[in-house]
Amino acid sequence: MGPPKRYSSKTEGKSKKRKKDEEEEWNYEEEDTTQDSENGPIPGAAGRNAENIDQSVQEDEFGSKDYRSQMVLKPDHASRPLWVAPNGHIFLESFSPVYKHAHDFLIAISEPVCRPEYIHEYKLTAYSLYAAVSVGLQTHDIIEYLKRLSKTSVPDGILEFIKLCTLSYGKVKLVLKHNKYFVESVYPEVLQKLLKDPVLQECRLRKNLENEGDEEFITQVQDKPNVPAFVSKSSTSGEQPEVTEVPDDITNFYDKMDNEEDDEDDASLKTVSFEVNQEKIEVLQKRCIELEHPLLAEYDFRNDTINPDINIDLKPSAVLRPYQEKSLRKMFGNGRARSGVIVLPCGAGKSLVGVTACCTVRKRALVLCNSGVSVEQWKQQFKMWSTADDSMICRFTSEAKDKPMGCGILVTTYSMITHTQRRSWEAEQTMKWLQEQEWGIMVLDEVHTIPAKMFRRVLTIVQSHCKLGLTATLLREDDKIADLNFLIGPKLYEANWLELQKRGFIARVQCAEVWCPMVPEFYREYLICKTSKRLLLYVMNPNKFRACQYLIRYHERRGDKTIVFSDNVFALKHYAIKMNKPYIYGPTTQSERIQILQNFKFNPKVNTIFVSKVADTSFDLPEANVLIQISSHGGSRRQEAQRLGRILRAKKGAIAEEYNAFFYTLVSQDTMEMNYSRKRQRFLIDQGYSYKVITKLAGMDEEPDMMYKNREEQGQLLQQVLAASDIDCEDERIPGEGGPRGGPGGTRRVGHMGSMSGADDAVYYEYKRSSSSTANKHPLFKKFRG
Amino acid sequence: MADNGLSSSQQVNNVLIQPSNLECKNLYDYLTTRPQNVLERLYNHPTICLAVYRELPELARQYVIRILFVEQPVPQAVVASWGHQAFSKEHVYVSKVLSNLFVWQEASIPGGLPGWILSTTFKRNLKIALLGGGKPWSMSSALDPDNKARDITFLDAYSAERWECVLHYMVGSQQQEGISADAVRILLHAGLMKRDEDDGSPVITRQGFQFLLLDRQAQVWHFVLQYLDTVEQRGLDLAECLTFLFQLSFSTLGKDYSTEGMNQRLLVFLQHLREFGLVYQRKRKAGRFYPTRLALNITSSQSKGVHVLEDVPKGYIVVETNYRVYAYTDSNLQVALLGLFTDLLYRFPNVVVGILTRDSIRQALRGGITAEQIIGYLTQHAHSQMLQNESNHALPPTVVDQIKLWELERNRLVYSDGVLYSQFLSQADFNVLREYAQSSGYLIWSNKEKRTMVVNKSGHDDVKKFWKRYSKGN
Repeated sequence: MGPPKRYSSKTEGKSKKRKKDEEEEWNYEEEDTTQDSENGPIPGAAGRNAENIDQSVQEDEFGSKDYRSQMVLKPDHASRPLWVAPNGHIFLESFSPVYKHAHDFLIAISEPVCRPEYIHEYKLTAYSLYAAVSVGLQTHDIIEYLKRLSKTSVPDGILEFIKLCTLSYGKVKLVLKHNKYFVESVYPEVLQKLLKDPVLQECRLRKNLENEGDEEFITQVQDKPNVPAFVSKSSTSGEQPEVTEVPDDITNFYDKMDNEEDDEDDASLKTVSFEVNQEKIEVLQKRCIELEHPLLAEYDFRNDTINPDINIDLKPSAVLRPYQEKSLRKMFGNGRARSGVIVLPCGAGKSLVGVTACCTVRKRALVLCNSGVSVEQWKQQFKMWSTADDSMICRFTSEAKDKPMGCGILVTTYSMITHTQRRSWEAEQTMKWLQEQEWGIMVLDEVHTIPAKMFRRVLTIVQSHCKLGLTATLLREDDKIADLNFLIGPKLYEANWLELQKRGFIARVQCAEVWCPMVPEFYREYLICKTSKRLLLYVMNPNKFRACQYLIRYHERRGDKTIVFSDNVFALKHYAIKMNKPYIYGPTTQSERIQILQNFKFNPKVNTIFVSKVADTSFDLPEANVLIQISSHGGSRRQEAQRLGRILRAKKGAIAEEYNAFFYTLVSQDTMEMNYSRKRQRFLIDQGYSYKVITKLAGMDEEPDMMYKNREEQGQLLQQVLAASDIDCEDERIPGEGGPRGGPGGTRRVGHMGSMSGADDAVYYEYKRSSSSTANKHPLFKKFRG
Repeated sequence: MADNGLSSSQQVNNVLIQPSNLECKNLYDYLTTRPQNVLERLYNHPTICLAVYRELPELARQYVIRILFVEQPVPQAVVASWGHQAFSKEHVYVSKVLSNLFVWQEASIPGGLPGWILSTTFKRNLKIALLGGGKPWSMSSALDPDNKARDITFLDAYSAERWECVLHYMVGSQQQEGISADAVRILLHAGLMKRDEDDGSPVITRQGFQFLLLDRQAQVWHFVLQYLDTVEQRGLDLAECLTFLFQLSFSTLGKDYSTEGMNQRLLVFLQHLREFGLVYQRKRKAGRFYPTRLALNITSSQSKGVHVLEDVPKGYIVVETNYRVYAYTDSNLQVALLGLFTDLLYRFPNVVVGILTRDSIRQALRGGITAEQIIGYLTQHAHSQMLQNESNHALPPTVVDQIKLWELERNRLVYSDGVLYSQFLSQADFNVLREYAQSSGYLIWSNKEKRTMVVNKSGHDDVKKFWKRYSKGN
């Protein structure tokens, strides 16, 4: 099966390659190597890829890369936790006595690749190092600590890589102070160098023109800022002196680093800065990236006197969990607000992090999410955790348009902001107001779902000082995640799912893959029919239907609340109507949705609901603890993770049981679904989840009144399936999610096979309608080129 | 209508031949396949009697001891009455074992009742072994102290090195010194390796793979058995060799023994044992040798070994739920073994990183390794950390399941012998025959359009007769 057809011919080759890469390497982001040949304005380091360093490494007789010649084992290797491979992969023993130290450090400097129980794998990337620098780590410290933690000597190539990626990074910051933009640095020589550049000279804002040529900087001695303190239940037990033997150099250094992180700026720091022209910010940013000095954006909200403070505080009852506190500390580490992305599993309290961030900044806040339902949920979250009341929170959706004037917090959806068609007069007014405002903080919920293009539109419409992205899965099947690094900021924190699960912050989920044999008649059709029908055939497999029916009954008897997911609307309706359960899908109205969800929450008679992919993200259903997936979107790893997230919220009681939530995926045996399923699971498996394969549901045959038991019924179903139209065979498409598209006629895609090849995310994609001349440019920087 | 309307072509499907798996015999299995006269000869040696006695099931040992000093046959009913009724199955089993080994024989008691009596040779020599007397049967150790005495650590290292040399040779890893032609011959004889069809060089067989995954003690025992098979061809005496082997197995680790009194044949045998690391000799003519751990308790089945071989101090393999495999080892052999069923990614100085994939497992399965053996190997060498988790599974259950599923998916096709009927002249003929075959349950497959059908082999005759009757009738 080929790649999606909607790619232009130029990108097609690339995507093939990407796909191939992806098969081989299980990492989240594949850097676009074709970029290097271009002179595109990406920092050189970002194009660097540690993966290539070891290409010359000999493979040994067993086909593995033999690194033994490149490193020397230290005599006390047993008490050190890491191996660093010359290609940037780092392996960490989770049972090592210094695990805690190493873990915090690795999270800061590298991307987690997989974190199962015993040995975790991380990967150094240009972006992760960039993130490390932006939270205040220094090149020297990174190298030194890495050396100390490693069981072996660290390969030279890696040291070189770290230096390349970090030395020029993080030296200059773009600071908004008193509503003026400054380029600030502690290194005067770097600023000097930057100012030699003619483009940057243009951007510089000069107070009086007579002083031309004068390279004076504004020198300032920074006072000791009071770092906002977050209340947290941080267990002191972690601080207990460890009895196990930890090499002294590690502990000493760790303490040093730990302190540094907290009061990095405690000492009076001498910084130099120059003011820049607000209109030229974009040019400036682009140029600085080209000069390999990407600007870090920071917001000195305490010294911002122009924008009024809003009166909002956390309620005393809002208690942060240790990991939430840690993530916020990364954000507000030096008393200013850094822009960036915080990655927490679904159900681990992302909203509280967002609310706390808003309460810390205490300036006007804009919250963007991706559905009307989650707008409501955000409002509730604000009311629950903070002192904000109805008058302060304004919703701006197609249904609810509160009066925005005078409010402190505005909650809206991405599509509302980027809507291009005509709006109502009322909405027009709100938009106008929104555009005029200077926002203190912008919280971007489910930040992974928005395509870069849409995001860029948001950024051009709304001015905000600081951006906080929240997501559970920083992962896309296309490689656009890397863009976020420059559009929002680096990843500030990423939590370990398994650890949160062990500590009871999220539910312990039993994942299971139920194999449903294809009924012979269906399988015959499956083999001979054209591709688009196939999907329907394996989804409508009577054995799958019965497995689903059985599982629903089984869990209803246990008193569980079950959500059934189906991407295919035909199947969704058929299943739901046949079993007489409520269902929600795209066309379901907002009020009906809320009504169904309320019933699901409070009505003991409604224990099962059927939902389409509209519920993939940000449907907060704390009650649900069973999830059954009957059809899914090809091989999308993210969808799998997001769906799992629906049942991750920690469950009360039930501590005694080994698992308190269940996640079933029903797959028809011998069909493409099996491959998809394998692919979909990879992300969660990397997070340490394991899937149990169930080949036969015990007790299903004894169950009375099961549907589609005999041949005739199955035959009828088959007729229905065969009679279904092509549209029925497709997955549901959600308007708005894919960004603004052309008229209704233009959205039908040709080459449906593309979306079935598993790798793509048709729904989450930007729909490229034709190959434009910019096709081979880095999408991130398109805006810079006009 | 003549018979020529139908041609039945006999298509004997090659039934899926059950892959010949490695048979691991224990001492009992081995001895029962020997003829009685060989056993009688063996029982002339107290050591063998003792070894056999020790390997008997508990109940059998009880019987033997009870009648050791009884000079006349004991009624079978009496023996049966010694145990509780509930355990009659065990009784029947051990009776059979004792008979098979010719430890006891049936003898009738005056009065016609069947009885048991211990074989005289076995009785005499077991008494010697247990009570002493007769010629000294242990090896002589009357030697001057060795001025270059070897300690146990040295012997362990030596034996491990020698044994691994054999294994290395089998996996064909590059860095090994050659092993003798004799050893190669044994490997070939045992079916662990075979001559490559192209260049005649020995290559490993599926049994060989399975052999590699055994634990070391089982390996040694299996290897020695194969060696003993060929021992007569070399002009050695089987009884003599076995006796010596058992003497070795009762010797003390770290002690040196003299070669004095050993005949030429035994000395040759000793040299062979030396090559495989069962004994250590500094020089061929040193006049003394040290048994190594490999030779000790050679006969004891793996479950109850008193001092189980410590070839690897502790488990070294970590298997993750995401199918990653981390092996803390720098031994090429262990890496090679892992490489049989894992995709190896990276090698660090003290660890190897690999991943279990469907392909890698299937490749191993094709090579004749079973899922059971892979799981067994991973469990046996599981890292101590893996044993500490709360669930008490050494391996993640999902991974174990998956490996088994991968094996199962290879066996989804069912083979059945059948006979193809085709070229029917008319649809009606076809229908009649199909009807008949179906109603009598012989039909395996039929296709109306092509007028072909397959009936199972057992039904072929019936169907044929029916067809003859039918076509005559027309």
